[in-house]
Amino acid sequence: MDTGQNDEMEDAQLVQDFRDGNLQAFNKLVLRWQDRIHHFAYRFFASSDDAAEITQKTFIKAYHKMDTLDDVEKFGSWLYTIANNLCLDELKRVGRKRATSYEALKAAPQTETATPADGQVLRNEGLVLLHKALLQLPTEQRVVVIMKEYEGLKFREIAEILDEPENTVKSRLYYGLSALKKTFDSWNINKEVFDYE
Amino acid sequence: MNKETARSLFMDYLYDELKPDQRKELEQFLATHPELQKELEELGNVRSMLQHLPVHDPNEQLTMVELNQSGFQDWWNKLIESWIPKNGFVRTGFAIASLLILFVMLGAFTQMNISINENGFQLAFGELQEPAQQVYSTEQVEYLLEQVRQENAAMVAEAVQAIQENQDEKLEQTLVNFADYVEQQRQNDLQMISAGLNNMEETYYTRFRQTDQVLGDLIQTVSTRN
Repeated sequence: MDTGQNDEMEDAQLVQDFRDGNLQAFNKLVLRWQDRIHHFAYRFFASSDDAAEITQKTFIKAYHKMDTLDDVEKFGSWLYTIANNLCLDELKRVGRKRATSYEALKAAPQTETATPADGQVLRNEGLVLLHKALLQLPTEQRVVVIMKEYEGLKFREIAEILDEPENTVKSRLYYGLSALKKTFDSWNINKEVFDYE
Repeated sequence: MNKETARSLFMDYLYDELKPDQRKELEQFLATHPELQKELEELGNVRSMLQHLPVHDPNEQLTMVELNQSGFQDWWNKLIESWIPKNGFVRTGFAIASLLILFVMLGAFTQMNISINENGFQLAFGELQEPAQQVYSTEQVEYLLEQVRQENAAMVAEAVQAIQENQDEKLEQTLVNFADYVEQQRQNDLQMISAGLNNMEETYYTRFRQTDQVLGDLIQTVSTRN
């Protein structure tokens, strides 16, 4: 986890303070984790509104369930577990259909992206397709890719959050990246597309 | 190491979670297996492409807990926090002791008396008083008994009267029913006698006719022979 040992200890102290009645401690936890949870949910749904809603629900649930957190040093993993479960619940609620109609995917995929004159246009299209490819992954692979690639969690932490063996997590990531590669190849997207600044 | 083992280490390698000796061993194996080396590079390329994905920061900072408390409330909370122990067991003991003190103080203030005797549990506030007992004189008791007797006698007489009337009514009804039955029976008997006499009369008449006819035939036969 990016937070490191000191961050974990700081989170643990804030959790303890909150349990002792210091409400300000919870606000500090929100400030420390809000962006990460929001980024996770945004990459999961490609929607700012959904990401904001999931973030808010995550902290509301954390506020009410803080007493159930057994190990205060694992606050981050616990928070990701809540956020992930809320994302899955939301996905079940609205159905998979909606997952392909978000704001990042308004532009239709262009399979002939090799010839545009403007590099910036090409790059923007590539970014849209990047998110679309991510959303096309099966949910369990998508979650692992997001947690590993963007949230920077260790395999051990992801396994703990998802309550799965580490090897299962690695296997899902391998198949997720392989599936993304196939999708990028079929859409003629390569890493040179993103080199334009 | 074989190809499957090498593939199983790809993710650890890509995300730098491989131990140095394992990393070295994998790199040596890949050097002799270019197709695996290529596969790993392609997965690395996918990673580098994914890193370009933009992300949106939240539009507004979430405020989960409002801390706008009044000065007095803040002071009161701090006072309570400083007084109440944080350990769970000690806190429970503290609460029980506080309740006991409050109970004793209330008891002293209200002069509460608690007693248990043969009548049961007794809780009283103020000075405990013996319950008052009501005593009647002999004349009063006799008067009351006489009243009770009179009432009982009147009730018994009323009940007897009602039973008598009921029985008379039933007896009268029974007699009426019996008289009706006897009358009905008499009518039936008379009808039967009348019907019997009629039958008898008819039978005699028929026989007289038959006798006359036989006698007539006999006289005719005798006169014909002569």
